[in-house]
Amino acid sequence: MALLADEALRRVDTAVGNRLMEQRVNFGQVDITVSPENLVEVVTALRDLQFLSCRFFTFLTGIDRSELTDEPGGLEVLIHLYSVEHVFHVNVRVAVDPENPVCPSIVSIFRGAEWQERECHEMFGVEFEGNSNLSNLFLPEDFEGHPLLRSFKLPSRFVKAWPGAKDPEEASAGGR
Amino acid sequence: MATTEDRVVDASEVAAEVSRGRLLTEEMVLNVGPQHPATHGVFRLLATLDGEVLVKADPVIGYMHRGYEKLVEARDYRQITNLVSRMDWLSGINNELPLALALETLMEIEVPPRAQYMRVAMCEMNRILNHLMFFASFGSELGAITPTFYAFREREDIQMAMEMTTGGRMHFGFFRPGGLKEDAPKGFYQQALKGVRQVIDRLPDYENLLIGNEIFKQRTVNVGILPKDVAYSYGVSGPIARGSDISFDVRKDEPYSGYDLFDFDVHSAPNGDCFDRFWVLLHEVVESAKIVEQAIEGMPDGPIMGKVPRVVQAPKGEVYVRTENPLGELGMYLVSDGDRRPYRLKIRTPSYSNVSALPYVLKNTYVSDMIAILGSFFFVLGDIDR
Amino acid sequence: MPEIILTTWQILLVKVAVILVVVPMGALVGGYAEHKVMAHLQHRLGPMYPGGFHGWATTLADGIKFLFKEDIIPAAADRKVFSLAPAAIMVPIIMVYLVIPMDRTLVVEDLDVGIFYLLAISSLSTIGILMAGWSSANKYALIGALRSAAQLIAYELPIVLSAAAVAMLAGTLSLNGIVEAQNFPFVLWPPGIGLALFLVFTTGAVAEMTRVPFDMPVAESEIITGPFTEYTGMRYIFSHMFAEMGHMVAFGGIATTLFLGGYRPIIPWEPLELIPGVVWFAAKTMLMIFLFLWIRPTFPRVREDQLQKFAWKFLIPVSLALILFTGAWVLYV
Repeated sequence: MALLADEALRRVDTAVGNRLMEQRVNFGQVDITVSPENLVEVVTALRDLQFLSCRFFTFLTGIDRSELTDEPGGLEVLIHLYSVEHVFHVNVRVAVDPENPVCPSIVSIFRGAEWQERECHEMFGVEFEGNSNLSNLFLPEDFEGHPLLRSFKLPSRFVKAWPGAKDPEEASAGGR
Repeated sequence: MATTEDRVVDASEVAAEVSRGRLLTEEMVLNVGPQHPATHGVFRLLATLDGEVLVKADPVIGYMHRGYEKLVEARDYRQITNLVSRMDWLSGINNELPLALALETLMEIEVPPRAQYMRVAMCEMNRILNHLMFFASFGSELGAITPTFYAFREREDIQMAMEMTTGGRMHFGFFRPGGLKEDAPKGFYQQALKGVRQVIDRLPDYENLLIGNEIFKQRTVNVGILPKDVAYSYGVSGPIARGSDISFDVRKDEPYSGYDLFDFDVHSAPNGDCFDRFWVLLHEVVESAKIVEQAIEGMPDGPIMGKVPRVVQAPKGEVYVRTENPLGELGMYLVSDGDRRPYRLKIRTPSYSNVSALPYVLKNTYVSDMIAILGSFFFVLGDIDR
Repeated sequence: MPEIILTTWQILLVKVAVILVVVPMGALVGGYAEHKVMAHLQHRLGPMYPGGFHGWATTLADGIKFLFKEDIIPAAADRKVFSLAPAAIMVPIIMVYLVIPMDRTLVVEDLDVGIFYLLAISSLSTIGILMAGWSSANKYALIGALRSAAQLIAYELPIVLSAAAVAMLAGTLSLNGIVEAQNFPFVLWPPGIGLALFLVFTTGAVAEMTRVPFDMPVAESEIITGPFTEYTGMRYIFSHMFAEMGHMVAFGGIATTLFLGGYRPIIPWEPLELIPGVVWFAAKTMLMIFLFLWIRPTFPRVREDQLQKFAWKFLIPVSLALILFTGAWVLYV
């Protein structure tokens, strides 16, 4: 049955609390932050411990927090896991240095991470240690740059600024 | 064709014989796709063949990558609704639902019950459309060309119901944060019920046409087995996972949009082969039809839009919302900076995770089995490549 | 009416000319029948426009369209073999028609070794398919050609064995003789054995024509068109469409002759003899063709190894057993 988020947070804290940098409940889901050194341990514990059992690998992605207005941050790798038995979600964040983005790979724990890490690598430039196959997944081989970083601007927005400043009533049909 | 003094019974035995040096053969790399009748779209599979046995399979994707996650950073939420419905084009309106739900969570808008019922009815009708489409394509990949025509006939009535409400047959742009764009027109209830009841009546015949067929069973039973823990590890969800003895469904585990008010079953099958995945698919159609009937017959009156400010601007925050897309778990992780556009929108698509399990399942199968497995994995290219 | 006396050679020329007209006609009609029968089984109409009335000129229009298509030979293909392959497939099929009797005297040549000639010649088209697949320089074509070689060899045997049983029942290898020996068609008498022989023969025939459910070599959704993937225009029509339709009509005719009584009426009842033999033959052949057409939209494809298993482990032992029973029947009944 579904665990209440506070109960889930308590369990996670019991298991790996000493390795976490931050932990909270966000919109009904457990949200924890770890440092790259502890990542593999924490994820293994989340998967293997019986009362947690987060065996479902939902996704792995990156977030570039450099242009947030409130608290700009750096680059972050976000891993989302789900526990099928106990029905709760865990968001695992790993803060990665934007100058030298390196993060350990969790391919050995979750097989699905192989493709997701490839995508994160080509989109954000994060090097995953332990993933031997970091070739481009979506982009052509000769693509330069990492598209999902905020510093990579869409060329069409250079030509014409985002027209969304208009009110809904003023927006006429057509126009880019 | 590999023959030795012994009788060769299955593909892994052939591979074993070759490795012992009994047959001098050479491996051939066959490019399945990007243009191929059996792959649903521009999907390429680098298959290393040894005779008729697939020794290694390497999917190559990205031929349809449109850069959704970057595009949405420059569009406001009204535009994104239309953009997102072009991901899994067979599921139609199910793609727009997580976005609407995410915005409603962040902005703390309450959706009126009538809008919730309508949303459920439309999403389930689209689920029927999607599953019937895969019923057609799976049959034709195995050589049974007739189910295609029967399935498309059933889809017509339901698509007419969707068209009279939203104006579109495939891409709708109908859900808004807070409710719907418009109310249902006159005649929608009859049309929807008619379409859905026809499906319930005729589905047992179609089932028999394929599931009862001896040749079909020979082609799909024990072919392409996906074990349960491997499915968890790859993040496989939807009818494919439910065919591997996993019995989860977002509509039951974490109900959204009023799904807890409806009475339906979640089917799962024990073996994890192509037959089971297909069986789950067919039975889900009947469940969806039941839900649509319940939704339309119990539809409350009232407004179709909650209290939404004139300009849709999500407050600062992050949320992950997931729904049960016909193909699996579709989730959206929305990072909002208080603007009219998202700061970062990660779209977690079901087909992407499902297809990543293909190299595991395709090891040591025959070429014809590869086609059956590709067909049974129910993926849509727009969903994988975004 | 002055008597037209022709020499033997002239008569032969006329007969061959008739065959060369009848076979393409048969293929055209067979193609149209396939479109329409499949369409109605799938709850749709099929071609309705070419020629006006329910699209009777569909296959004709298709043929003319293909004449206009560009003739492409892949650069890496073996040109001589590639060009010869369609002929190697088509010619044996046309030669089969030389011995099929459509009425007592309406046969090009009533060979004493009719069945033997028929089965030997029809198996020659296997080489043509192999030539087509190998010379195409295309991996899919290669897979298709190898599959088809294995399949055609495997399914020759049930056809040959059941035809041999029929020859035992009739006491002669000549096709006219076999038809004359059928007072009741062999499918009805000997009871049970005749039906089993007929079913074995039909299954083998469907596999020989590489039609669904045995169309692995030409599996459309897997290897596009198998050995004929690289063929365009008229070459494609001759090697694939024409051959398949011609094969279907030929096997329909052979099955009629061997099992359904050929040009004789179903039962030896006087009034039925008034209907000319050609009409009986045509009706029975069309029934067989309808059977072949009916099977196609109904079943999925059998996988290659299951196909081989079915032939070697089931059909061939069954047909050998049936030969035993037939022999017993002939000796003791």
